[in-house]
Amino acid sequence: MASGVLTEKALSRPKIGIRIPDTLARIGKYVLYRSVALFVTVVIGVYLTVLIVNMGGYLDTIRIAQIREQVGAGVLGDPTLQTLPPSELRKHIDELVVLEVQRLRLDQPFFVRSVDYLVDALTLNLGRAEIMTSNSGSKQVRLILLERIPATLLLSASANLSLFFGAIFVALFLSRRYGSWLDRIVIAMAPSSTVPAWFYGIFLILIFASLLHILPFGGMVAAPPPESTFDYTLSLLKHMILPVSAIILHGIFVSIYQWRTFFLIYSSEDYVDMAKAKGLTARTIERRYILRPTLPPIVTSFAFTLIYLWQGAIILETVFAWPGVGRLLYQAISIFDVPVIVGNVVLIAYLLVTTVFLLDIIYALLDPRVKVGGERRA
Amino acid sequence: MDKPILNVENLYLHFRATKGIVQAVDDVSFDLQRNEAIVFLGESGCGKTTLAKAILRLLPRNVHKYTGKVYMDDTNLMELDDERFRREVRWVKMSMVPQAAMNSLNPVIRVGDQVAEPTEAHFGLKKEALAQAREVFQRVGVPVDFMSRYAFELSGGMRQRVAIAMALVTSPDVVILDEPTSALDVLTQANIMNVLKRIKKETETSFILITHDISTSSELADRVAGMYAGQIIELNDAEHFFSTPLHPYSQKLMASVPTLHQTKKLEFIPGQPPSLINLLPGCRFAPRCPSKFEKCAQDPPLIDMGERRKVKCWLYANGKEK
Repeated sequence: MASGVLTEKALSRPKIGIRIPDTLARIGKYVLYRSVALFVTVVIGVYLTVLIVNMGGYLDTIRIAQIREQVGAGVLGDPTLQTLPPSELRKHIDELVVLEVQRLRLDQPFFVRSVDYLVDALTLNLGRAEIMTSNSGSKQVRLILLERIPATLLLSASANLSLFFGAIFVALFLSRRYGSWLDRIVIAMAPSSTVPAWFYGIFLILIFASLLHILPFGGMVAAPPPESTFDYTLSLLKHMILPVSAIILHGIFVSIYQWRTFFLIYSSEDYVDMAKAKGLTARTIERRYILRPTLPPIVTSFAFTLIYLWQGAIILETVFAWPGVGRLLYQAISIFDVPVIVGNVVLIAYLLVTTVFLLDIIYALLDPRVKVGGERRA
Repeated sequence: MDKPILNVENLYLHFRATKGIVQAVDDVSFDLQRNEAIVFLGESGCGKTTLAKAILRLLPRNVHKYTGKVYMDDTNLMELDDERFRREVRWVKMSMVPQAAMNSLNPVIRVGDQVAEPTEAHFGLKKEALAQAREVFQRVGVPVDFMSRYAFELSGGMRQRVAIAMALVTSPDVVILDEPTSALDVLTQANIMNVLKRIKKETETSFILITHDISTSSELADRVAGMYAGQIIELNDAEHFFSTPLHPYSQKLMASVPTLHQTKKLEFIPGQPPSLINLLPGCRFAPRCPSKFEKCAQDPPLIDMGERRKVKCWLYANGKEK
């Protein structure tokens, strides 16, 4: 036995020396591979979006027809051209249409243009919107998006973050009281989350705005916006109550249910029993034996909550007339404003892959069993 | 005879299940002297592990009946509230080596920290706890530089040693070993048993060893308790139990152990152990017992045979074998 101990000791010694440069090289290689793989994912995702929003090129036909109609209306409405004979007029219209088509490069094959769109999107050269403008009148997609993002973040961050942490907190509490009446009530309420948030929103508006007149129907601040910062904040908070409640009401029960089941599974692990036998306090057990080993999935869930925040809630924002990214996307889709849609998708795609990339590294930090780069067991 | 370090009297632990009440531990009484090792032998599902959990009060949620007396130092542990039990009994007076050491170690905490944890929790002082852990690692034969490893980086035998180190770190009076070697290969088993024997010699610790492995248990045992269907059917010293067991079940059990160059056929016990739900009155072994007679329809008492030997069988109704 003693010799066995010695050999194991002897083996573990030199390993420490070569470990550090080894680890660096391994992590470097891994980071490189992972970045390439994720970049390819983004390229595919964005290109698919470009294809879909352009209807695989069919949108060009619609656009040319639109141009012809607009140009035609313009020419026919121009009093200086009224004297021209109809054939000249038609020729003039055709010339203008060709010019406009050339300006928009619609005469080039869709495939060539789709690659250009892709490159522009990937380099965050988001270009100009076709129809939509920002509140300040700019057609820059970047400006349009930047203007909407704070509103969306404000709403969904306050709703989803309180939902996330609230649900975990309550779930931990319930997992300790598994089978109690409170637990049963929450479980029974879980299917209520199949109802979308905007549906709760409509009911909340009905009750608190329409019937009770204590909260506003929608929008972000009162019109006209209050002068002082304090009043402005107060008005903002008042406008936030209903949409935030709608999101929380929608998600809370099913989130608690999920996390509670998750914690229940992990608190029946042998090492939790062992910790109890060791006479550790309930708080220590909860922190070191339940939360700590389950941190990686909690962090994943949190990261995806963060990504989800940026997208906004399309219908909810529309119901509450909230000037966020969700509502912007809704408007852009309904009028085929391709650059705005693509710009939005590119933004989300980049955020998503960055999160996934960071998650891989965070996992390795949190869980010693995860070794970045798939090294053989130490 | 000294005062026993642990004295268990009429311990019951019944569970509620959908089909009825599971009588996993049913009227169990035994005592344990200082530096003594008692082995609980029995088939799978006879309530051995549940007995360990009942003594350490590690109860599932569906407990139906949990009564009896467990004395340590004149205190009835069953009367302590949960918080006092946690502070004064768990790992201070009694510790445990679990069945599967892999799952019993937290995967994301270094094993050294886990071994130090009980000392820290019960006596404070993180630094001393680590020093204590280092000392106990050496005692069970785990290299000290393994302290900064994680459970998944250790072999099965090393893990089991870590679990034993963890049980010994606070120098408790009683260590419950719940099948400490059943998942290991024979060589590792022998190593672990040697470690336990050495520790028993070097310290004052008493052991409760729970196992179905008769041959390895004989290494450590001073006394043996045979368990069948949630009850102790025989309490005997190791020497007598392994050579001339009293209870018909123990006799059959010993006859089923293979030995080298054996000419006689290995025996087995026909039939199945009873389900612990809705047990019939009378001796629980009667349906499988070769010496069954009419009296077996009544539940036999635990008959005192003198010299701390007890047997739960009507054959010994007069204090000696019929």
